[in-house]
Order: sequence, then C-alpha cells, then structure tokens
Amino acid sequence: MLEALATTDAVTTPRQNEVGNPLLLLERLLSDQQNLTAVEQFAKQHEAAGTSPRTSRYHQVLPASPPGPGQQYAFEVDLDRCSGCKACVTACHNLNGLDTQETWRDVGLLVGGTISLPVIQHVTTACHHCLEPACLTACPVNAYEKDPLTGIVKHLDDQCFGCQYCTLACPYDVPKYHAGKGIVRKCDMCSTRLTAGEAPACVQACPSQAIAIRVVNVNQVIEDAEASLFLPTAPDPQHTYPTTTYKSRRVLPRNMLPVDYFQVSRQHPHWPLVVMLVLTQLSVGAFACGIGLEWFVSTQWIAAIRPVQAVMALVFGLLALSASVFHLGRPQFAFRAVLGLGHSWLSREIVVFGFFAALACVYSAAVVAPVHMHADGPVPQQWIKALAASVVVVGTVAVFCSVMIYASVRRDLWDFSRTVTRFGLTSALLGLATLWLSLAALALIRPTESHLALVASAGPKICYSLVLVTSVKLGWEAMLLRHLMSRAMTPMKRSALLMIRDLANPALARFALGGLGGFVAPALLLRQLSAATLDNAQLQLGVATLLLFGASLAGELLERYLFFAAVAAPRMPGGIR
Amino acid sequence: MASTSSSTNLGLPLLVDRAGPLTRELHLALGGGELGFVPERLRPDATTTMVCGFCSTGCGLDIHLQRGAAVGLTPNVSYPVNQGMACPKGWEALAVLDSPDRATAPLLRDPHGRLSPVSWDQGLRTFTDRMKAIQKVHGPESIAFLSTGQIATEEMALLGALAKFGMGMLHGDGNTRQCMATAVVAYQEAFGFDAPPYTYADFEQSDVIVLVGSNLAIAHPIMWQRIVNNPHSPEIVVIDPRATETAMQATQHVSLFPKSDLTLCYGLARLLIERDWINRSFIDTHTSGFDGLADFLQPFNLERVCSETGVSATAMEKLAQTIQNGARVSFWWTMGVNQSHQGVRTAQAIINLALLTGNIGRPGTGANSITGQCNAMGSRLFSNTTNLLGGHDFSNPAHRRKIAEALQIDEQAIPQEKGLPYHKILDGVLNGKIRGLWVIGTNPAHSWINQGQLRDILDRLDFLVVQDMYASTETAQLADLVLPAAAWGEKDGTFINSERRIGVVKKVARAPGAALTDFSIFKLIAEYWGCGSMFADWKHPEAVFQILKQLSAGQPCDFTGIEDYAMLDARRGIQWPYPVDTANGEPERRLFEDGHFFHPDGKARFVWSEPRPMPEQPDSKYPFLLLTGRGSAAQWHTQTRTSKSAVLRKLYPAEIYVELNPRDASDLKIKPGDWIMVSSQRGRLQAKAVIVHTMPPRQVFVPMHYATTNLLTDAVFDPYSFQPAYKACAVRIERRTNGDAPR
Repeated sequence: MLEALATTDAVTTPRQNEVGNPLLLLERLLSDQQNLTAVEQFAKQHEAAGTSPRTSRYHQVLPASPPGPGQQYAFEVDLDRCSGCKACVTACHNLNGLDTQETWRDVGLLVGGTISLPVIQHVTTACHHCLEPACLTACPVNAYEKDPLTGIVKHLDDQCFGCQYCTLACPYDVPKYHAGKGIVRKCDMCSTRLTAGEAPACVQACPSQAIAIRVVNVNQVIEDAEASLFLPTAPDPQHTYPTTTYKSRRVLPRNMLPVDYFQVSRQHPHWPLVVMLVLTQLSVGAFACGIGLEWFVSTQWIAAIRPVQAVMALVFGLLALSASVFHLGRPQFAFRAVLGLGHSWLSREIVVFGFFAALACVYSAAVVAPVHMHADGPVPQQWIKALAASVVVVGTVAVFCSVMIYASVRRDLWDFSRTVTRFGLTSALLGLATLWLSLAALALIRPTESHLALVASAGPKICYSLVLVTSVKLGWEAMLLRHLMSRAMTPMKRSALLMIRDLANPALARFALGGLGGFVAPALLLRQLSAATLDNAQLQLGVATLLLFGASLAGELLERYLFFAAVAAPRMPGGIR
Repeated sequence: MASTSSSTNLGLPLLVDRAGPLTRELHLALGGGELGFVPERLRPDATTTMVCGFCSTGCGLDIHLQRGAAVGLTPNVSYPVNQGMACPKGWEALAVLDSPDRATAPLLRDPHGRLSPVSWDQGLRTFTDRMKAIQKVHGPESIAFLSTGQIATEEMALLGALAKFGMGMLHGDGNTRQCMATAVVAYQEAFGFDAPPYTYADFEQSDVIVLVGSNLAIAHPIMWQRIVNNPHSPEIVVIDPRATETAMQATQHVSLFPKSDLTLCYGLARLLIERDWINRSFIDTHTSGFDGLADFLQPFNLERVCSETGVSATAMEKLAQTIQNGARVSFWWTMGVNQSHQGVRTAQAIINLALLTGNIGRPGTGANSITGQCNAMGSRLFSNTTNLLGGHDFSNPAHRRKIAEALQIDEQAIPQEKGLPYHKILDGVLNGKIRGLWVIGTNPAHSWINQGQLRDILDRLDFLVVQDMYASTETAQLADLVLPAAAWGEKDGTFINSERRIGVVKKVARAPGAALTDFSIFKLIAEYWGCGSMFADWKHPEAVFQILKQLSAGQPCDFTGIEDYAMLDARRGIQWPYPVDTANGEPERRLFEDGHFFHPDGKARFVWSEPRPMPEQPDSKYPFLLLTGRGSAAQWHTQTRTSKSAVLRKLYPAEIYVELNPRDASDLKIKPGDWIMVSSQRGRLQAKAVIVHTMPPRQVFVPMHYATTNLLTDAVFDPYSFQPAYKACAVRIERRTNGDAPR
C-alpha cells in the first residue's frame, strides 16, 4: 500500500476573521492540536501486511544453523562490548509489548580493581535458558517447557495459575510475577523472531552488538559449570546449568563485586503463605498433641477432649488451606496443581494437604457425631485411633512437603535442617497451645467437676512442655544473630543484618510475643492451677488462655513473616540502588 | 500455532491451556516495511520517521501509527545517524508523554497561593497584562525570557522574534548556555563561524580518537556505537579524571587533575611542535597565529605540565606519539570541557591540536564538539538571543537591515546589541532590573548552578511564567502562571543535531487536555500582545521553516537548497550547509574539505591564553573536589521526562548517590550504601555512598539528575562563553552518625 499525500497547508490555514480576534485563533489552535497529521503530511511507503523480518544486519549475532543433537540456543554476552547503556532492557520491553513496568532483562554492575587499574563492568542478563531449569522443576502446573530442539525455556502463560513458586526457585530472579494478570511471565528468547531468522529484541537493539545468540554444546555447558566459568559473583551454575556465556578478553580482577553487594533488602513477605504455613503446622501439631494427650489421661477424659481438639485442629487446618488460595494469582485453576506431582514439591504439598484435610474431616466427623450416625453403636475405638494416626502421619508428610518446597530452592536461611527444625517446632509449639485452648474451652464452657479435674491434671504438663518448646525455638531463632560476627557477607549474615535493621521492629515483636505466649502466659496459668480451685478464676483462666494462644500464634506468624522477608535471595549482579 | 494447541487441549481444555488469551497478549506479528516483528496488538497501519527529542545525537525513530496516532516506535534502520539503534531514552520517548504530571490547562496562582486551572483566555490575558504592566513601570528591558534547546527551531525563532521584535524585550537566553555556549565561542573565534565541522562517519574513519571530558558511552551511546563500528581498530584516548565506562573501553585513559585539561593540551601542543610532529604546510596555508602560539607554548615543558596535570611524562609522550602515528586523528569534547571556568580556551586548545597536525577537513579528523540537547544547534542559529536570527550579528547594521527586509519589519524593532547572557539576566533579577521572567521548556530551579541562590533570585520576581509540558517541575512549582505545552511528538518542526543535520519532528500523539504547542502559544501571545500582524506570514512551522531558510542565505549555514519538510523527510535529514544547487548531496558531509575557513582571510586562527587556577580549590575545610555529570544513559538532565517512564526508573538509582574512592571511604569510615553528607560553602545534601576505584582519591562524583546536586555547585562562569563551571568545586564529606537513611 502506497500512501503519498503532501499538503502541508491543509490543517493550519488561518481563517480571515481571526485577525484581531484572538479567541477565534485560540479555538482553531486548540482544535488543530488534536488533529494528527503526520500521515497526511509525510508520505511513507508502508506495507501493512509486512512480509520480511528484520534480518539484514544481524548475521554476526545469530548462529549460522540451528542446534543439532546435544546442542541448544544460548545467549552470549561479550562483556568487552557492553558499556551499560541498557538499550537492551527497553528494546525487550517495547518490542515484546510488555506491560508498563515490566522488564525481562536487567543490567547490573561489577566494580573492583585497584586505584591504578580500576574496573567497572556492566553485565546484561536475562533468562539463561538453563539445562535444568529450577523454574520448570518447581512449577506445580507444568507451565514451563524446555523446547527439545532449541533448548528455550518457555513459559505457558495460560497454563500458569500464579503460585509464584518459580520466582523463588530461579536462582537468577528471572520469572517476574505480574499481579494484575495473576501470572508469571518471562523471556522466551524471542522464539517467534528466532524461528523467522530475526534476532531477539535485545540482540538487535544492542548498539555495540554485545549480545548474540549462539549454539552451545550441552556437555560444554556442564563442564563450564563444573569449573565455575559462568560469571564471577553469580549464583552457583551447577544448580541449574545456565547456558548464557559471558566472555571477555580481559581478566576481571579477583576483587570484582556487584556494586549492590553490601546492600541488603527485605524480600516479599508472601502473607497468604505465612498464614497457610503457620496454620497448617498448627493443625498437624494439634492433631498430634491430641493423640499425645490420650496417652496420659483416662478414657472418660479422652471422650470429652477428643471432639473439641479435633474440631479446633480441623478449623485451623481448613483456614490455612483457604488462606493458601489467596496466594494464587488465578485460584480458579488450583486443581491444575496435580500435574506437577512428579517433580514439584509444591504440587506434592497441595495434594498431600488436600488428602490431609479430607482425612481430618472424616476423623473429626467420626469423633464428634459417633453415636447418632451409627445405628449399631459408636465407631470402634481402634478405627478412631487408626484414623487419628493416619491424620497425623499424612499431616506430617504434608509438612515435610512444605519443608522441601523451601529446602529445594537453595537459600541458606531455608536449607533443609533449618526449615525442618523451624516447621517442626512450630507444629509442636502451636499444637500444644491449641491443646491448651481446647482444654480451657472445655472447662470454661462446661465447667463440670470432671473437666476441671482434667485441666488440673493435664494443664501443668502442657504448660511445662510449652515453656520447653518455646525456649528451644526462640533460642534457636536468636542463634541467627551469631552470623553478624561473620566477616564475610554470607547469605546468613544478610538475613541477620535485615533482622537488626529493616526488620528490627517485627523481629523484636516476634520475640516479645513468643515470650508472652510461651513464658508469661504459662507461668500465669501454672500459678492459677496451683491455687486450689478454678471455680472463682474463670475470667483469669480465659484471659491467660487467650494470651497463651493469641501471643504464641501471633509470634509464629511474625516468625514466618521474617522467614520470608529476611531471606537472602540469590541473584545476578545488580546496579546502584 | 492455534491449531496445534487446540489439538493438544482436546478433551482437557481446563487442565492444560497452551494458547489462551494470556498467550495471545504477547503474540508477535510482522509489522511491515523494515520493522520486523512487533507486538500483534500494536501492529501499525503506517509508520513515519522522525528525530528523537532527547539529545543532540538526533536519532531517527520510526513511529508506529494506528489511525494516525503513535502506538510504538523502533529506531530507523537506514537513518544515517543511528542505523537502527536507540538508547533507552529514545526507546521510551513516547512513554514519557503519558503522565499524570502533564500540564493540561493554564495554571494561575490563586489568592491562597495554589496553582489553579484557568482558561487559556484568562491565562493569556494575565500574561500580557502583567508583563505589560511591568514594562510600563520599569521599562521594556524589565521582562526577559529563558528558553531551551528542546523545542523546534521554528518555535525558537518565533519566540526570539516575538520577544525581541514584538514585545520589546532585550534580554533572553537559553539553557543551551549551560551546555554548548563554550563550543560556540570557541568555534566562532577559531573558524569564523559557529560550525562543528564533523559528520558522525568520522567516528568510523579515524584511526586515533581523542575524547576529552566526554563519557560518550553513557552520554551519547549511539555516537559510541559509531566508534564500536570503526573497522580500523582505532586508538581510543580518553582524557578524564574519572575512569568512566568510556575510559574502560579506551586504549589509553589519561586521568588528569580536574580542570587541568587546558594545561595538558598546551603541553601536548608544545611536545608536538618540539618534535616537529606537526603539519607545516597546512599551518602555513590555512591558519594564522602559529608563531605567537609557538612562543606562548614555550613555558609548557613536560616537567611543568606533568606536575600541574598529574599525568606522567610517559603518558604524555605516548599520547603525542599516538597523535603523530595517526593518519586520521579526530578530537572530540563534551561537557567536561564546556562546563569549565576556562572552557573556551580549552576547546580552542583542542582545536589548536587539530590545526597543528592538519587533522581537519579530512575523513576521520576534526576538532569536534559534541552538543547536548536535541536542538541546541537550532538554538545556536535561530534563537535570536546571542546571535541575530540565522547566525547574524545584532550589532551589524547590514545584518539588521537584511533581517528586517526579509521579515518585512521595521529595522528599528531590532535591538542593536545582543541581550544579556543567562547569569546576567539572573543578576538583573537580583538587582531589581528584571521583574518579569518567562521560562520556556527548562527547569532552572533544578539545573542552574548554586541552586540555593537561584531559588532566592526567582523569589524576587514580580511575575514568573513557566511554559512546560509538566506542571510538576521544580520551576513550575514556583511559577505565578504555568502555560501547558505540547511535547515532542505532539507537534511539527525541525531539529538540528550535533553534526548539523536538520531533521523533522512530527505530530503523532494528541496533547493532553488543553496543552498547546509552544508554536501555538507564541502565536497566541503575539495576538494577545497586539503584535500578531508582525507574524502574519509565520502561519505554521513549515511556513516559518521557509522564512528561516531565506534568513540563512549567504551564511555559512545556508540551507536554501532544502525545499521543504518533505525533502528533509525523504532524505533522512540534511546537514547544513545546503545552498541552492548543492552538488554534493551525500548523506554525510564534513566542513573545511577545501581548507577554507569562515574568517575573512579564509584561515583558521590559533587562540590561546594563560591557564587560570580553578576558582575554588580544596582546602582544609572542604578537602574534596566535587565533579558532577551524567549518571546513566537512562537519565536526561533534570529528569522531568525520564522520571515519567516506569522502565527508565528501573534503570537508574532512585536516590541520589555519591561515588568515592575506597581509600577515602576507609579514612572516613564510610561503608557502601551509607548515607553521607556532602557540603560545600553554599549548601549540603545527603547521598548514598557508592565506593569505586574509578574515582581518583580526594574527588567525589554526584550525578546532575538529582534535585539537590546543584545546592553544592559554585556559580563560576567561563569569561568568554559565560557557561557555568558545573564540573568542579570544593566539598567536605562526612558519614552520618549512624549511616542510616535521612528521615
């Protein structure tokens, strides 16, 4: 289609009567301002149905032939050419039609050297299209695919349900969550362009041709990773085998560090996950403590406490699972989580907790309404016990899955032993607190002789256990601060620094609440229990119970907030922040 | 793609969805022409090419249009300037138009001190009534304007003509005073006309490239691209105190004491003469003043120069040898030279080097000033401030007659002398002689040197009018009246880039609310003022282009051979000169290929004078030297535009920072990321510490883009160009007690 019009006077010819009448001129100029005239004024040959990709200039930055067996496409960055203009970031944003704030490429800065030979090195980075992508392994709905021919790690936007687990799993901070759309999006190496022989947006926009697409040998990538030949200061390449090659003729000084190396910044707290983790652990712990109590008390008391404790544990468990839904960008597709069972710990967690919830419902129903539901008498005790045991076992497996979600993403604060200790102690602590809540509720709502005797008998055991578990847990958490003494800026030191700087207030509150719920409230209760009768002390009992449970729960929620907010996330070098 | 996915989905559309609406959002499609793939939903139905509106590189951008309105852009592949590339600012040029900060109606300060929207009619009446009232009491000279290098040449010319011929103003200047006034004077004295001689192809043709006070890779990434594309493996020499990105890529980095570049150039010239590494025949035929220069240079022996610049004798000799070895040596300078207390002489010392070695007028050579703003070069010729329209002289009666005749105005309406430069206009405000100020498209409350004093000066005005695309600039916030201007992309006109290329800008986006082009605003003010008939022929920008063309006739910048905008568009910009019957229509042309300069004798002149010490030396109280400059390629000047793009905001540090050397940091117990106090005699600021070896000891660097930077700078000016010396003043740095962020 050829459009050729060139009439420049068409829009701006003044009318005769404008002379001496500024208002008329004003009116015309305001109206002219809204007429867009570039197309009429300037001829431009333009084939709307365009036929050719933008190929002419890019033969140096594209491979001559597609990858063969044992090969894949990869970015190659020539550090000697990158001068840090960051055109690649804006070109990717514009040529891919990303949202206002969205960027799929970043440019960081390494600094080092000496006064006589200073070095600054900008580093452009996007998805590394890893051989073993952590995002793909983590994804519970199989929204990631690694193309068998090109090796490109592609995200299926419509398949994603917005759990954001990949944003935690990727060591390079590549997948970015788009809250408005409820999904994650990421670089696909402009596969549409590559297929047609056009260079990816960043490659074609680099004024210095610092970025290229190359075919790499998979074995070479693995060998390079083993020799740590990826990029100084970048996360360990042996985890996912990133395929990007950073090349330079120069030898970077050994003291090169990202310019933001000494900055620590709090991470996203993921509140729905905070609630979900704490309450699921409470629920599993409460079921377990319920069974535990049964070893210490007589059958008659078991019958009284069992339904209360089961309902309590179940309610918190169901609350936890509903909270988890709020973490999904597109909760309507939650059922897709079954797809990743083979590889994703998040998938496993979701499925096992689903199973746990079902079993817990059955068990609770069985203990709450045994008489009416069964014409031929109550459900046999051994069934109940077996059911209870299976609830606890499945719940424990589910909590283990939760542990693995975090342990598998290789962040020091979240490593296996730390996370298993943390989650296990939370289960014990809140399980005991819930058990006390159930007992107190029973005694306050139905203050029969028998119930009061139960409280007097079991109460001290629970209180002492709680004090013990709280001491262990708070002591263990406080041990994090010993990393402040470390000279190296280790990830654990970063977490510790966050706890005393940006997160000092929540950290203080966490310890205060922990002490209140785990030391002060049990002490109050023990005093009340030792004072002969409970009859006249219902109010005090109620208040102390609420303090014990409320403060313990709030303390654990804050502990979990800090778990997320104070973690040091691995990433590529950043810029000045 | 859709067909394969639907077959995979068969039976399980809910469980597996490979190609739904979210996937389609990011589909790409061929955009047509040279565009390649573009987002499918933004596929243009037409494109048009125009010049970028940020810096003076003048890149050609293909604007993607849907029904006449811009929906995206890509750099033009065949534009001779940028060859398919753009820096982040160019890529985001359209994004910054869409902002809640845009001025959408005239704003008048109400009795409560707030800026409230008023009609254009009321705004314009207020403008003329108040300005005329001031003039009536205090004389025509009591109102002045401060303009910009960011508007179209036609707009600059209309403003200059309206203000000086129509409204009776004598004084008006541009923010171009802050970036290229030094180069103007240097060229005028050396070549006889303000004429940057080069074309960008020279970057590719040199075998030695000497960059003085220029962080080209960051400030002008697309010019840097031309160096990267140089096939001759050139020697790249960077003369700069800091080890900048550009220095990193250089083959020689000469780190000298700040503001010792004049001495360095003199020492180099002496060395070249002493070793007879100069071009005698070129000097004899095409230059004047050599003997005087040679005599003057005698005292600049290596010993003196090395001690005054901090550069080793080996480095000096290597540099001289490099220049001698080069067959095509080009010298380039930017703000490190221009923004200096002796900028003009430094620029001329660089020109001297090119003249001595005969490195001018041939491919890959030249003494080349790289300008700042997109239309600084337009303002140099047509702003009607320092020069009478078209590079003419206010004090020359023949020039005044020529202009009066061409414009069909009374010769008496043309002032007989040039107006006051920027800093003198501000002095005029300070001493009460100037009481009304009209600020167009610039942000002095952020950008002017010694900001504390500047704000005090603006406070003294009876009437401050700010005409800008954003109502949120630091200066607009101080205004009595804000006039909402349409931006680049919302108007027609031409820009002239660093290599003298005239290119078109076009109206491809609708201005928000009642914002009007600067051109329309000037036309309206002429009408309201009562001098509209004087500009009856200045109907629209292209009509003005035709007028300007005639004014250029016979001047070194003669472009009478350019027919119209369509010709500029079709030829992808045309460099001046381009007189009628230009034989050489090559897309890239340089000046002085015939060795003929613009002085009456046809010769270039050597100019020199004794270097002067930096006015504010570090002392015991302020022991550090503060350098200022560009922070990143994603930032532009006072950030009124670049801060409006969410993507650009991610590409530069949100908070002001100060770069310092690890040794100084350790002495002062400053750690990376600490908030530190930087103070000068004039003011202080708090900034985050960035500790880098690239800063020489006892020097610190603060980017100019942050609002507080100029609280520190010292209002010192080059005595010839009156350009402010932003680059060096004495400061003290201290760690805040706890190193935490200011509250």
